[in-house]
Amino acid sequence: MATPNVVIDPLTRIEGHMRVECEVENGVIKDAWVSGTLFRGMEQVLKGRAPSDAFYVAQRICGVCPISHGHASTMSAEAAMGVTIPNGARIVRNIIEAAQFLHSHILWFYTLAALDYIDPGKALEANIADTYALAQAAGTTTSNFKAVQDKLAGLVAGGQLSIFSNGWFNHPAYAQDMPPELALIGVAHYLEALEMQAEASRVIAIMGGKFPHFMTSLPGGTAWVPTEEKIDDILFRLLKVRDFVNNTMIPDTLAIAPFYKDALSYGGGHGNFLSWGVFNRESLEMKDRYMPEGAVFAGALKVESANPDSIKEYVKHSWFADSDGDKNPAQGSTNPVWTDYDVNNKYTWAKAPRYDGKPMEAGPLSRMLVAYLKGVEPVKKIVDLTLGKLGAAGKPEVLVSLLGRVAARNLETAVVAEWSIEWVNELIAALKGGDVKFFEASEPSKGSGAGMWEAPRGALGHWMSIEDGRISNYQICTPSTWNIGGRDDQGVTGVIEQALIGAPCIDPERPMEAARIARSFDP
Amino acid sequence: MAHEDRAFYDQLADRGVTRRDFLKFCGSVAAMLGLSEAMVPTVASAVEAAAASTLTPAVWLDGGLCTGCTESTAQGTTPDVAQIVLDILSMNYMETIMYATGDSAEAALKDTVEKFKGKFIMVYEGAVMTGFDGNALRVAGKPGLDQIREVAPNAAAIIAVGSCAVDGGWVKANPNPAGGMGIQEFLKQEKIETPVINLPTCPVNPEWIVAMVVDVLFLGKLASGQILKELDEFNRPKVIFGQTIHDNCPRRGHFENGEFVYEFGSPEEAKGYCLYAVGCKGPQTYTNCPIVRWNDKASWCVESGSPCIGCGDFNWVDQNAPFLNRFRQIGIGDYKQTGGYVPGNVAALAGGVVAGALVVHGLGMKAAGRIGEGPATEDMKDYDRKRMKKGGDK
Repeated sequence: MATPNVVIDPLTRIEGHMRVECEVENGVIKDAWVSGTLFRGMEQVLKGRAPSDAFYVAQRICGVCPISHGHASTMSAEAAMGVTIPNGARIVRNIIEAAQFLHSHILWFYTLAALDYIDPGKALEANIADTYALAQAAGTTTSNFKAVQDKLAGLVAGGQLSIFSNGWFNHPAYAQDMPPELALIGVAHYLEALEMQAEASRVIAIMGGKFPHFMTSLPGGTAWVPTEEKIDDILFRLLKVRDFVNNTMIPDTLAIAPFYKDALSYGGGHGNFLSWGVFNRESLEMKDRYMPEGAVFAGALKVESANPDSIKEYVKHSWFADSDGDKNPAQGSTNPVWTDYDVNNKYTWAKAPRYDGKPMEAGPLSRMLVAYLKGVEPVKKIVDLTLGKLGAAGKPEVLVSLLGRVAARNLETAVVAEWSIEWVNELIAALKGGDVKFFEASEPSKGSGAGMWEAPRGALGHWMSIEDGRISNYQICTPSTWNIGGRDDQGVTGVIEQALIGAPCIDPERPMEAARIARSFDP
Repeated sequence: MAHEDRAFYDQLADRGVTRRDFLKFCGSVAAMLGLSEAMVPTVASAVEAAAASTLTPAVWLDGGLCTGCTESTAQGTTPDVAQIVLDILSMNYMETIMYATGDSAEAALKDTVEKFKGKFIMVYEGAVMTGFDGNALRVAGKPGLDQIREVAPNAAAIIAVGSCAVDGGWVKANPNPAGGMGIQEFLKQEKIETPVINLPTCPVNPEWIVAMVVDVLFLGKLASGQILKELDEFNRPKVIFGQTIHDNCPRRGHFENGEFVYEFGSPEEAKGYCLYAVGCKGPQTYTNCPIVRWNDKASWCVESGSPCIGCGDFNWVDQNAPFLNRFRQIGIGDYKQTGGYVPGNVAALAGGVVAGALVVHGLGMKAAGRIGEGPATEDMKDYDRKRMKKGGDK
């Protein structure tokens, strides 16, 4: 009898509910099944409602990327109604979206992912003076390292480890040669990052009322009107976050990455990448975005233009009626049917989307590869710098890996931080030039449209059809559907499933590498 | 200063917190709880006493959620989430931020329930998912309902964070495709009698969680039973959910003056006029958002130019949609809320100014674009009518 599969359920430090199951043989993952374990039914809830209500409700599908869902929903409504937003509203939306990217990426790296690479227990062994020296050598910021170490020691002495309870301390998959001083720096910045992600989200709150779930990017433009006392609040908060990204997050990434060079050799997966592009220019065209659209297929590092008509979703292995399968989301339907959890039959609440029949990875790695191959200047610059530090100059193909995916998200943070400042200045210039229109009224009656956009975690689409002034159909294809979706009707594995296959699993009781790979998608 | 006090302030100093910062924090806590300045020293000594004791165990269970309430909690600053989970509570299970994963995480939950039976706090986020025999949400290979059944009866109290946990939120909105339900209703079905404190809004505001932490841990109101006496008939803390947004809204003056925003992006909006005419649900919604605001007091919905959509109401997505339509009748003052349903006779109770405003802005309308029950809204705004007269859109 075969050994039982290795299971991670629930996978923690993600947004939502997910199960990972792996077949492991001789310390290597041979097969994998990823299950989305929650169904809520947003698409059904939206049917029959007023088109302008979708913005408020649809964004509540995700508490970590509500801005992107809000924008995609609003764009689908605007496309259906044929309304063009004023230029001022475009700039305002870019800034809110950028603030969410900064918030989300900082939160992901430090709060969700860092514990996969840094053993917090090791931080107790660090020498304080050496920690300052190491921070200086690594070019990263210093903290009150003594206080952080004392806080950790206090937890241990108190006998209750709180969020560290039952963690995988001393796991052999941690880089054994990483100095404890780097672990202490990591823990200190883990705590500081909490303030920085909150600072980024305050920018959203100022422009959108609150975060998560914002209020102002309604169909037609924005309800928020910039004023002098708000613009400085936004600008100087974004400058503070940018400084953290450049002076702490990027140096931390470059200091930790060399200890995990082995992760350049696994976790890549199918090698197909999809981006719809994000951050509009004045044309509002999908082909003209700051972070460009494109599709890259395995085997050749070249970009094709991305076309939403090429999507089809499959449900043979998902808990949905057969009639929901083999459809483009513009004509999609959602009819849940529960059977049982069976990896040989149906095993997930996620549909399996395919692009021209192929499973596509969504996320920062997709965006950064597309942008790199299209020659987007700030992306090329920071990617080339990083490849050099990893001893892989001129070899962007190494990014198709676990470490590449982690690095891509952090490098994108620096690019977006810089752009966010540029856009505040653009807004100021627009106001100076008398560009004070932020909303275009519209009347929904009949039509259909798609909002193709990017959430921090990847390619996102909302499709809305309107009849008699009400939503007659609504479909959403989230980045996590692209990534956590399982096998298609042909039995081809999903994106995370394939990324897991071939990866090491040195301790089947504590499958650290599998958890790392799954989390690297920020599902 | 007593010896113990000195040790406490030394500890604070080690963490870069001055005595002045600390008293400021206690002052804002006292204000949150509706206490006078004179109570600040009492709050301070309660906090000191709590700091000297061991951490209170807590677990945070995720139901059918968007993770927005965890996210929102992470946006608080006094205390921030690290202080909550490292200095105040021992958060032994919280899927979104905990170190452990899979079986190790489940073991941490089981250990806490066994070791601290009747003593730990359970926080619940998201809707209870009853659909598909409880398989709309599966956790650790089982229906998520099983996790609630194992943990809830053993908790000292349950804090339901966010509208989904309170009454199912948007997940329960028509047609409720996955059988969403609030935790209190589910516990009633299951005959589990652990007390529930409901903190609605979508997401929850971290200030309210902190207020509960102070009530339960620092002021000992759970042990004394006081906290339950301070809840309204829907188990919401009265101090937070006792007045409407309209009661405390900074734009209220414009409402009284009859100065309204009729269209987004209009000159009236730039002047910060009242958003009632674009559908603001502030008059019906019982929360203290205008006072505590959001994201470390950076702003709140109405301040940013958006009408309130009433996310703190019960059944808010069905009740308050279409969000940009005005309610025909608005509630003013101290009327009873019946699970979020605005009674039909409220207009009769409304004072002269309000009734006047309603008449002036002509509200003869019917429900439209709504699914399920709710009070009447108008289906067309004055500015629409004007535009149509001019031969505008159609």
